[in-house]
Amino acid sequence: MTARPKKIDVSSKIVVSCTLIAFMIFVILPTFYLISYVFLRWDEVWYEVFANPIIGDENWKQIIKVLSFSFRLSLSTVAFDLIFGIPLAYVLARKKFPGRSLLEDLVTLPLVIPTSGFGFATLITWTTVAGLGGLLGLSSGLISLNTLAPFINVPFILFVVHVALTFPYVVRTVETKIQSIDMTYEIASRTLGASSLTTFRNILFPLSLPGIFSGAVLAFARSLGETGATLIVSGVSTTASIAIVRWASEFKLSTAAFMGSLLVLIAWILILPAEIYVSRSRRASGISLHLPINLTKKMIKLERFISRRLFFIKDAVPLIIVVVTVVIPIAVVLNSVILYWSADPYTGKVEGGVFHQLFGPSNYFGSLLRATLTSIIVASVSTYIATCIAIPLSFIIERRRYGRILRTMLKVPMIIPTSSLGLSVLLLWGSSGLNVVNSGIWMIILTHIVFSVPVIVESIIAAYEGSGIQMYEDSARTLGANAYNAIEAVSLPLIKGGIITGFILSFTRSLGETGATFIVMGRDVTIPVLVVNMVEALAIPAALFTSTYLIVLSLIMLAIIRILTRR
Amino acid sequence: MALVKLVNVTKRFGKIVALDGINLSIKDGEYLCILGPTGAGKTTLLRIIAGLLEPDEGEIYIEGKRVNGVPPEERNAVYMFQNFALFPHMNVWQNVSFGPVIKEWSSEKIRNVTSEILEMVRLGERRDAYPNELSGGMQQRVALARGIAAGARILLLDEPFGALDARLRVDLRTQLRSLVKDQGLTAIHVTHDQEEALMVADRIAILREGRIEQIGSPQEVYTDPQSIFVMSFVGGANFFDGVISHIDESGSTIELRGGLHIQVLDTTKKIGERVVVAIRREDVSLGKSRRRGFNNLIGEVADAMFVGGSMEYIVKLENGIPLSSRILLEGGSRIFRKGDIVIVSFHPKECRVFQYPERGLLKEIEAI
Repeated sequence: MTARPKKIDVSSKIVVSCTLIAFMIFVILPTFYLISYVFLRWDEVWYEVFANPIIGDENWKQIIKVLSFSFRLSLSTVAFDLIFGIPLAYVLARKKFPGRSLLEDLVTLPLVIPTSGFGFATLITWTTVAGLGGLLGLSSGLISLNTLAPFINVPFILFVVHVALTFPYVVRTVETKIQSIDMTYEIASRTLGASSLTTFRNILFPLSLPGIFSGAVLAFARSLGETGATLIVSGVSTTASIAIVRWASEFKLSTAAFMGSLLVLIAWILILPAEIYVSRSRRASGISLHLPINLTKKMIKLERFISRRLFFIKDAVPLIIVVVTVVIPIAVVLNSVILYWSADPYTGKVEGGVFHQLFGPSNYFGSLLRATLTSIIVASVSTYIATCIAIPLSFIIERRRYGRILRTMLKVPMIIPTSSLGLSVLLLWGSSGLNVVNSGIWMIILTHIVFSVPVIVESIIAAYEGSGIQMYEDSARTLGANAYNAIEAVSLPLIKGGIITGFILSFTRSLGETGATFIVMGRDVTIPVLVVNMVEALAIPAALFTSTYLIVLSLIMLAIIRILTRR
Repeated sequence: MALVKLVNVTKRFGKIVALDGINLSIKDGEYLCILGPTGAGKTTLLRIIAGLLEPDEGEIYIEGKRVNGVPPEERNAVYMFQNFALFPHMNVWQNVSFGPVIKEWSSEKIRNVTSEILEMVRLGERRDAYPNELSGGMQQRVALARGIAAGARILLLDEPFGALDARLRVDLRTQLRSLVKDQGLTAIHVTHDQEEALMVADRIAILREGRIEQIGSPQEVYTDPQSIFVMSFVGGANFFDGVISHIDESGSTIELRGGLHIQVLDTTKKIGERVVVAIRREDVSLGKSRRRGFNNLIGEVADAMFVGGSMEYIVKLENGIPLSSRILLEGGSRIFRKGDIVIVSFHPKECRVFQYPERGLLKEIEAI
């Protein structure tokens, strides 16, 4: 008796199951394969890591050493990000001033610039005479590669690079959170007599805590997994993700896999509590700090003083950080390319010039063209396939009860170190696993799909949730459109902006990815990898040119996003 | 024949029963208002008729056909959302022709139908405008035109004026009703605004906690409310808690707290029964002398408010209970001031007597 059209039911089931299967095969399987690999080959891992007959548990000691170094670096980076990022986020979210969107772009820049290019720019700026050293009139770089930062005991330049690369995660996440908080709370607090700093501590800070938390998690994960820039500036120190790249290239696969799965587990352990916390606090947000009343009084007094007299610090310091870590390195690289164009400006040798290295006997220009072609094919194909999976997946996430679970699963490929991811893909699809593809361009594509899907999904969901799509779609249904017409004519056009933004973000990410690509690339070199190779071959002028080339490419991408999202 | 008919429709969300055995039938061309407080289940009912939700139990018939499980696009019932849900990425023309285009009519027919309907709602000149460039009134007309073009026979209106300011709301309400009537459409209009419902509806169904409390014409609902809730929600009234102390052939006497007595005509209750007596505000008059055949109580004016064309008084009776009275200002009407001692009069025939509610009087009137 029920007149429900079976046809639509069946085809919707087919779409949903195809999407979920593709999602499992292309995204989730490669992410978690590493862990099962360690279990399946536990004997091998045990033998190599803990009980090698020649070196004993030397590899295990290495892992511990590398991990503790990585943690020290990442934790101090995140702490620094939070101290200076939250004020900046507040300024960006609440204040209107000329140049606001420029500042926003500058903060976001490290997200889109390929990290190896950016790492190289920082390296030049801090450690060579062409950078800050020369600018201040010294005859050498401002610091050396191994100068340690005080207190935290990690190389200063590594710290600078990690701060620059993770800063946007904290700033942008917190900024978005603060923007979503109704401004009337702050106005109420101010009119009730609280100074702006007191208001921030009592009202905005507790309310934006979920945003601060997830920003910190993202930044931590990014720092833990960063490979491209770290490879260039690390010198003798080794972080966890670099260790994986190195061990994988030395064919110490078991050790690398063990370390990689440790990193995946750490990512999981970080994500789960954060997810639960953030989803809980969606209902009753925030916590309040209860302090003894006399302490509170003193604090309020101090805050009033700071609010009146010293508030410019909040505006000035983050700005200086952005300029020093982002703007100056880029400017130095652009400047150096010009300086080094025809010959080394210090020795006068033509062999040290950009022109000679590009078109001379080493013919880096040829490699660059080949790498560009590889990079563009990889980025286009992987982003296209990822978009095809991401669009239906976003709808499933928004509409089905199990959507939340899918979304949480999607966070994992976003935050696990890409070198672990690359290793996982290599072991799964490569000759030692299913033997489907060999190292090379196709495996790079398979790897890039994994982290592209979540990027696009997040972007689509952001567009979806603000647009009241369900209502428009319901409206279209009662006007006579069936489920597919409604999606095609109403929903897709409404989230078009989100899809395009996601596409470009993922394209840029793919263009700049280094860590995973290194492991799976075989003989097909992409541009960011080429930069690392050039630096290792000490072909500095060629690296200068290639970095500039990468930075310009990503600036164009950023400009396109800007134009599209402004509309 | 009823165009839309609901039989025993029940809908639960987890433990919450949103609709509890709704029976309702709506005639062709009728304008029905579903009136109720927030959370009464009004929107759920509307979404079930539209096919956007499926009921857990019960049947829905449209034009005599059972439509349970029939998708929304095959029901000819257009849902109009609070802010009209005009597609923001389409202009007026594209919005209105949405239904015809989806139904793959010939392009000539699409063109003719769309322009005809646009002329009808006087929007022919704004066909290239986007929704955000239109005023609230125009948006409403576009939404209506879009529904008509899609071949709708039933309009489902979900708080259609909720997002608009008070002045515009009053204008649009009459405009909407006359457009619906001109087109011979059937409208089911959900609202929590009793004034709006009284003004536009042919019939009003009062919904409370998933059940229909009363259904009838605006006059019936207003003059003959079947429950304390309906009387309080539609029009409002003074409610007093008392006990029947005496019954004779002319009526009953109710004793209120503090020994006050009220005469009523109702004789259906028993002596000693706890009751609630209700008097509309406009049925209470104030004066300096007692009126024959009326209930006369003495009180002190606690507050006097001018509400444009009439005065609203709060009078504190001898037993301390406040009573409100609304008096139309005519030539020579006497205006009282705060502190004046007055005689409050109302006729026994204006007093309605209800059984004392199980959950207490406050529970029945505070839900609003």
